[in-house]
Amino acid sequence: MINRRITILGPEGTNVYVIFQYLIFCVISWFTLFNITNEIGLDIQNVLVRQITFTLLGLTVFFLFTYVSITNIFALSNVLMISSTILLIGVLFTAESLGARRRYDLGVFDFQPSEFTKIAFVIFLAAVISQKRNNLLALALIFSNVLLVYSQPDLGTTIILLSVVLGMYFISDVKVKTLFAFLITMFLSFFILLELDLVSSFQVQRITDFYSAEIQDFSQKQSRLQISLGGFLGDSLSNTENISIFVPVQTTDFIFSSFAKSYGFIGCIVLLFLWIFFGFRVYSLIITTDSEFEKFLLAGFMILLYLQILINIATVVGLIPLTGDPFPLLSLGGSSIIAVSSIFGIINRIFIENNQVI
Amino acid sequence: MFSKFRLNVIFLIFAIFLSLIFRELFILQIIDNDENTQDIVNQNFETFYIPAPRGEILDLNGNKLAESILEPYLFLNQKKINAENITIYKQFISFNFNDLTNTEIDNFFSSNELFVEIANLNDYETDLRIKIQEYEAFEIFNQPKRAYIYKELFSHVIGYIGKPNQDELIEYSNAFGNKTVGKNGLERYYENILSGKPSEITLQNGEIVEITPAVPGKDIQITVDVNAQEVVKESLQQGIILANKSFDTVNLIERGAVVVQKIDTGEITAMVSLPDFNPNQFVSGISEFEFKKLNRTQAFNNFAIQGLYPPGSVFKVVAYWLAVNEGIFPEDALNSGQYVNCEGSLSFGFDDGSKQVYQDWKPEGHGRVNLSEALKQSCNVYFWDIALKIWRTFGNTDSEAMLQEYSKELGFSSLSKIDLPFEKEGVIPDRELFEDWKISKPELVRPEGWLGGDLMNLIIGQGAITTTPIQVSNAYRALLTGIKSNPYLFNDDSNVNEENINISSEFINFLLDDLNLVTNPGGTAYRSFQVMGDLTYDIGGKTGTAQNAGDLNNTSWFVGVDSISNPKYLIVTVVEEGGSGSAVAAPVSRRIIQYLLEENLTPVEFGEITE
Repeated sequence: MINRRITILGPEGTNVYVIFQYLIFCVISWFTLFNITNEIGLDIQNVLVRQITFTLLGLTVFFLFTYVSITNIFALSNVLMISSTILLIGVLFTAESLGARRRYDLGVFDFQPSEFTKIAFVIFLAAVISQKRNNLLALALIFSNVLLVYSQPDLGTTIILLSVVLGMYFISDVKVKTLFAFLITMFLSFFILLELDLVSSFQVQRITDFYSAEIQDFSQKQSRLQISLGGFLGDSLSNTENISIFVPVQTTDFIFSSFAKSYGFIGCIVLLFLWIFFGFRVYSLIITTDSEFEKFLLAGFMILLYLQILINIATVVGLIPLTGDPFPLLSLGGSSIIAVSSIFGIINRIFIENNQVI
Repeated sequence: MFSKFRLNVIFLIFAIFLSLIFRELFILQIIDNDENTQDIVNQNFETFYIPAPRGEILDLNGNKLAESILEPYLFLNQKKINAENITIYKQFISFNFNDLTNTEIDNFFSSNELFVEIANLNDYETDLRIKIQEYEAFEIFNQPKRAYIYKELFSHVIGYIGKPNQDELIEYSNAFGNKTVGKNGLERYYENILSGKPSEITLQNGEIVEITPAVPGKDIQITVDVNAQEVVKESLQQGIILANKSFDTVNLIERGAVVVQKIDTGEITAMVSLPDFNPNQFVSGISEFEFKKLNRTQAFNNFAIQGLYPPGSVFKVVAYWLAVNEGIFPEDALNSGQYVNCEGSLSFGFDDGSKQVYQDWKPEGHGRVNLSEALKQSCNVYFWDIALKIWRTFGNTDSEAMLQEYSKELGFSSLSKIDLPFEKEGVIPDRELFEDWKISKPELVRPEGWLGGDLMNLIIGQGAITTTPIQVSNAYRALLTGIKSNPYLFNDDSNVNEENINISSEFINFLLDDLNLVTNPGGTAYRSFQVMGDLTYDIGGKTGTAQNAGDLNNTSWFVGVDSISNPKYLIVTVVEEGGSGSAVAAPVSRRIIQYLLEENLTPVEFGEITE
């Protein structure tokens, strides 16, 4: 292992590009939140100051991770997965809020263990797949986590976790047949759960509502209208007249709707191309790195981030039913920002270790 | 083994998904832009609010004092009523809710509210709810109902809620949706903490399209103790009954207040003001008759913070502090230990040759008195002598108001800043105030203005001075700790401001020892405390009897300290027209001290008339 000197931006060989990309996403979030607070009269102190605090916390986490070598991350994979399981069990004993038990109240912000699970999941899977440790215990750990998230209940995260499992096994040399079998089992078990009445009627209703005559839910229709309002250039600079529109959770799950309204079609293209560009950079790293673990780790993280973004936008524009997933680095929320910051930190570390410097 | 090909497949799937999203965004933002913007302009939402449950108020030990219970209420959706179905709904309501009058029912249908509240369904049979479901204009919403569990006991501390007026609607942003606002007491002071964010029901063309759930208000745990409060109220009631039995007064004696304050923190352990009222009456709307009746007895006043009384002899501790601090003692004495002779009256002359004689309450005099004895026996002559000395030395100079400055340092004539609304600040008179009053209130002052006699009155807590019980309690606390801070009922970490006062621990011990003399043989409150036996050796206090103008009986005061060796509580008792402090207020405080020391409670019995 190389001993790296410490510089202002991190360990010697730090990739300025990743930090830069990370900061751009954070600043976009601040601007979007600033527009929202102006428009619907939210307490600016409460929203923007909180988000900036979260970003600073996230930045700290980002730098902490750039000092953790990938060998250590690999060594920690089991510990992380077990802690995630414990945290998920613990959260089931917390007080219910809005019909679910998802968060620990830490005072400054609510800690959602499922955000931590997402990271632990990718690290653990990368370790398991690259080592070909496909034993029963590993699978049991993976699926117990999925079930625990499902029982919060949190259908959105469950779907994301399952897709990550599927995606990461798919890019290994597992037979396609096996994956099909896995998919079919998943579908069957969902219907069995449905039969056994273990799926909350609320979730079923959401799905059935969506595919019945009424295509979109009320808030999605409103969100579509709000996106339309942005037009080509957005209305962040012009003064919009008082409009009556009803988009819920504008600062979190539906933040993309406000973003699209403020910055228009051009803003959406810029934001998404920043993410695509980031994807290309990571893709080239996946190809060049020699370590199997790093390949799976990077691919896993990209699948995780892209899935969240695609699912979030798809719900906001009304292509799929409401799931309640945040937009990485754009939505207001401590847990999500800190989780994505750790992912960026680990990716940055892999760039450093492969001497990919810009 | 990692498969580059399969990774490409995944990214390809993502790319397809992403292009679908771009297509959707393009349609929405470019193609449908104008059309959708028009749709937005045309959509009109209406909002109806359901109040959020208010936070609970808990006592020191977690007993619930006030709670909000959710109850199902039937509402009528006005937008769904039309010429065809109006009679059906009218009939349904008059048939099932037979305690509603026809005019009341007609008013429901002519209301301009989106949803009209019909009734609390808990008052009716449960099968009614099933019948209601068949009528689409009916909605059932859960609304919180405030309940004050101890009824009258905390009426002044907790206060009550009511319909917001114009000013309150502006001041409290959630008041409109919550339909109620704290009107008095803690309910008002902590309105922003206790009130939550109302539930928002959004309607489009009469259909509910969205319900945003309410955010309940936060609970507060206050410093008052239910058990202490109960004992304090009983004791004060006994004292008032006793005063009515013992004195032949023009008016019925019915008003009084007690404050029990913790000495180390300044928190309030009990606060009672009589007469009181049941705040639950306000929840379902109080009748005008009932309101006026209570208002006549001044039941809505919290005399503990709003009662303005001359403090009488309990005020002598201010002069006591001044004397020790400034070394000002009666003419013949050089220090606090030296004795002067009290012959029951004081005659003195002024520069203009006039002579005046002041009579002490004890015509035969107190004999040889020093500072300690003067406090113990509440000797007026000794303190008058101090006032005279101040007047003769400093009269008409900047320092003539030193007694007033000492009073103000202890918090008199300014708000104690307790966390309750509508506190009164009282008055400490001086030359300037009398000059103002000559113009604004000429009936209160002589044309000569401020004279030495006014200072002599002030030093024994008489004349134009007015104080509230909470001020007196807080001033004694400052003298016994050297710290002046606002008393409080709820500590939300940010609301206590401490200010240090230059008081030595020697002085504190000296004062405590002298307060101790008052409840022991020879002291003015001994008769009231005698029943406690040897325990009086460790108890202290000061009696006060303030004369009132006209044929009103005296105001009865007592300030008690539960322990001299380990002082924990101050107990300030006032009974309006209760007569001598040592007769009524002292035994009331004694019973409260018995409770605080976990002793057996003995009834409030007449002490003796002094002062």
